[in-house]
Amino acid sequence: MRIAAGVDVGSTQTKAVILSDNGDVKVLARALVDTGANVQRAAERAFDACCQEASIPSGEVGFVVGTGYGRYKIAFGNTQMTEITCHAKGAGFLCPGTRTVIDMGGQDSKAISVGANGEVLDFVMNDKCAAGTGRFLANSADVMGISLDEVGPLSLQAQHPVKIATVCTVFVESDILSYLAQGKTGADILGGVHIAIAKRTLSLARRLNIEPEITMTGGVARNVGMVRALEAVLGRKMLVSPDAQFIGAVGAALFALEKLDQSFESAIWRGEHAISGGH
Amino acid sequence: MADKKEYRCSIHQRQKDLMLAWYDQLDQAAHIGNPPTVSMMISGNCVELLEGFGAVPLYPEINALQLAIRHQSLDPILAAEDLGYAADNCAYVKADIGCILKGITPTGGKLPTPTLILCNFVGCNTYLKWFEHLAKLQQAPLYVIDVPFMRAEEPSRADLEYVTKQLQETVKKLEELTGRKFDFDRFRQAVDCSSRTEELWSQIKHLARRSPSPFDAYFDAITLMGPLYVYRARPEGVEFFEAALAELQAKADARKGVYEQEHFRVVMEGPPPYPYFRTFRDMFAKWQACAVASTYSTVGGLWEFGFRHDPDHPFESVAMHMIAQNVTNRNFLQRYEQIRRYVEQWNADGVIIHFVKSCRLFSAGQGDMRDYFTKQLGVPTLYIESDLEDPRYFAEAQTKNRIDAFFEALEHSKMAASVRGGA
Amino acid sequence: MLFERTFDLCSALDFPSVCQWKQAHPGGKIISYFPVYAPVELIHAAGMLPVGLSGAGDRLDIQHADARFGSFICSIVKTTLEMGLAGHLAPFDGFLFSTICDSARNLCFVMKRNFPQMYVDFLHLPHNPSSPAAAQFLAEEYRRILTELEHLGGGKVDDDALRHSIGLYNRNRALIRELYQLRTRAPHLVPTSELYRIIRVGNFLPVEEHTAQLGTALAEFQSRSAKLRDSIRIVVEGSFCEQPPLPLIRLIEDAGCYVVDDDFVVGQSWFEDHVPSEGDPLLALADSYLNRSVYSSVRHDFRKPRWDGLVDKVRRNRADAVLFLIAKFCEPAYFDYVPYKQELERAGIPHLQLEFEEKSFTFDRLRTEIETFVESLVFD
Repeated sequence: MRIAAGVDVGSTQTKAVILSDNGDVKVLARALVDTGANVQRAAERAFDACCQEASIPSGEVGFVVGTGYGRYKIAFGNTQMTEITCHAKGAGFLCPGTRTVIDMGGQDSKAISVGANGEVLDFVMNDKCAAGTGRFLANSADVMGISLDEVGPLSLQAQHPVKIATVCTVFVESDILSYLAQGKTGADILGGVHIAIAKRTLSLARRLNIEPEITMTGGVARNVGMVRALEAVLGRKMLVSPDAQFIGAVGAALFALEKLDQSFESAIWRGEHAISGGH
Repeated sequence: MADKKEYRCSIHQRQKDLMLAWYDQLDQAAHIGNPPTVSMMISGNCVELLEGFGAVPLYPEINALQLAIRHQSLDPILAAEDLGYAADNCAYVKADIGCILKGITPTGGKLPTPTLILCNFVGCNTYLKWFEHLAKLQQAPLYVIDVPFMRAEEPSRADLEYVTKQLQETVKKLEELTGRKFDFDRFRQAVDCSSRTEELWSQIKHLARRSPSPFDAYFDAITLMGPLYVYRARPEGVEFFEAALAELQAKADARKGVYEQEHFRVVMEGPPPYPYFRTFRDMFAKWQACAVASTYSTVGGLWEFGFRHDPDHPFESVAMHMIAQNVTNRNFLQRYEQIRRYVEQWNADGVIIHFVKSCRLFSAGQGDMRDYFTKQLGVPTLYIESDLEDPRYFAEAQTKNRIDAFFEALEHSKMAASVRGGA
Repeated sequence: MLFERTFDLCSALDFPSVCQWKQAHPGGKIISYFPVYAPVELIHAAGMLPVGLSGAGDRLDIQHADARFGSFICSIVKTTLEMGLAGHLAPFDGFLFSTICDSARNLCFVMKRNFPQMYVDFLHLPHNPSSPAAAQFLAEEYRRILTELEHLGGGKVDDDALRHSIGLYNRNRALIRELYQLRTRAPHLVPTSELYRIIRVGNFLPVEEHTAQLGTALAEFQSRSAKLRDSIRIVVEGSFCEQPPLPLIRLIEDAGCYVVDDDFVVGQSWFEDHVPSEGDPLLALADSYLNRSVYSSVRHDFRKPRWDGLVDKVRRNRADAVLFLIAKFCEPAYFDYVPYKQELERAGIPHLQLEFEEKSFTFDRLRTEIETFVESLVFD
């Protein structure tokens, strides 16, 4: 039986997944830690926690693929791939039929056109500002004095969602304060914020051919309000895996399995090392 | 690890020498007022006309990009912003104006106040404003050659007449300002030189159709562009490009490419991030991705599809070049067509669209260009963003991420295709 | 009220007045144009209705145009494309662009690609009026457009028709000049938030109808009696393609300003004087464009610096200050701001620079800045 792992070092959280394959690919374990300041340590902690969860010694993991923004800092990794490629792969596996991925993470958001084998056909990124990311929601929660976990459910209670014009996370704060001063409910404000983010994200995604099934991944997928808002603007339901946060790590682990399988020789595997400072 | 070998041989040094010699001439002009100098825009430039007066071109754009490559562009940009230029003004303009304000130059030598500020308006509205501001700042005379935009497939007779007449008016203006009589024979010889330089440059561009291409038609072509705009109409230019062609031809015949293995062939659209020129190149070198064509290398002139200056019709062919044969005065859809032709005839795997914040001429609407290539033609296309001059607008990790993801996907599709092919 | 109705016409995305015209003129064609200036006389003489479209303000969410035009591009370019992509431009048979700026020029060709059923054209307005060849060139360019319109509409346009159209627009422009002059003399009688609407609605109405409305408005303003307030007299300068939201114009007045001159819809009073009715009408229009146009950020004439035009405008209107109102990401306006600012400083004329977006609907920050500026001048 082959055992492989994927480690996804994100800006806010690091995820690890261990897969086994004895003809049938199974998720053995998953782990999640806060990334914090030391990326290398975060990767190690996530991986170790995952091995513990799976009750296997780390030496038994045949291959480790790192992904995410910190992928070059995973010293124990065998190689690395971008999270775009890994998200597509992971989404294709966990949500069969996926043809479009909408990923909303802590600091960036992206949309990916996915082929039948989980391959990336095309992608668009918003990696330059917080609009449409978890950061936007976190800021809004802060301004309103509520916790991030409450924003989604509260937004669903909106009766008359307010109009949010700006996509700038800095300026939206003053808009929110202004609405609070006008006596608007938290639900209506958050309803408006979620709709604005959904429209912004889909505006980005429309650079691709948005085709069903549409799968949502990333930390923000746990926000039920965001899922509903996106579905409302899309006009159709999306697939959301309970493992939405781990999709990047799952994809990385799937590539690791393929490597073990020796079925995947390519430029990517040409002796590239994931030691920090590498390319 | 991918081989990062770059194109570097004798022609590279010769290019540097030629450009330094040009800056020396400008320094001399600054000190003794001779030869006369004329500021011009690179796009659709009429450097041939200057030869009729023995005048030397001054290219504010080259000053700007030289500063950026030497990592000196931020200070002048900030100086210009202090004066009131906005964050969203073209950073080329800010860097150039900033230099004049601070009295700095890319090489440390002096730059002259030009005899004439000649705005060859070929599409770029920013050019008009830039040169208006230069004229005000430097207290030098300004003349605008208004070149009708390519709003139809071909220029009209009226377009050609209008430009030709303005070229003749420019001649009169320069006679007044330099006190020299226009030497029509020298002008014609200059046009003849240009036609020969262009032939050589076109052949060089066509060498990139070989597999492997002997040079990178983006990064290396940009390096070769300096002599193309300064020396095109002079014998030194012809010599330079003869040597360049010979060298590259030899490489091509020996099947030597830019990298150990030419793994990917791409068409590049948009100017480079000059402050990060080397870093940017490394991101493509890692994947052994070679540019086989680029639109930016045709801003000064588009010669790979057959156009040549014609010494038998010097004014008319100069006019034609300015109207129809440079990427800036050609309309946006014509650029799509140009890129499509490169993808097909230069056999490229994909298109890289580099959106630059400063340049709306290049960048406004590139999302639609992307739509055309991905959805209409099914050509793999990558969209990346930064700036051509301002070092503050380059997100290295994010740009690298997008480039890596793009080539990962291309790699997978090549693998899949070869598996299918072999089965 | 006249002014309420007019603004609805300017804002409604289903273009009711335009559709009405189409119904009343079966087979009639409607040609829209992007600001700032367009030779509307050509369109009118061809029996068609010219409509000046200035984006969709805050009435249209940008859902698709963002994918084509990304960051650092002004909103009007995106909302114009969005209108097209969302189907709102169905009543229009053609769209005329001109040499305004790089973003707008690229928009022309993106529209051409995406709406192949529309007649989309680009008019090259000269940037070297010093050349004796420019008038002939522009006249031929107008002839080219006219030929296209003739093909579109079916029917030749002769010189008499052109002269007639020119005459009508001369009259319209003359009334606009009169209204502006009245406002300069008696700003308390002519609120800019009203004047703006009555002029801008001319972008949507047949010129004959608009001229009649202008006449009514002029009489209405002249007959008013109002107290002259202690407001400061300002010139608003913005090289406007993208239009400020109406609440912003009101805000400027409420904050204590009389706008004694502006370039909000400068294209509608583009000529300093009548376009001559003698001789070749196309040449007359061309010559007027080259030699008798008001200064503008989108027109380049190295014989007469634009910044001298601004200082002159301030003095002519006895203004106390200049308010630069620049649409976010408007590159021509940002560029011109520098020499404008330098010359105003040399002339000792106070000024304030603000940014706006057509789609804004909250203005707290802008209000604070304008009020502070007014206070600084009043309590000097």
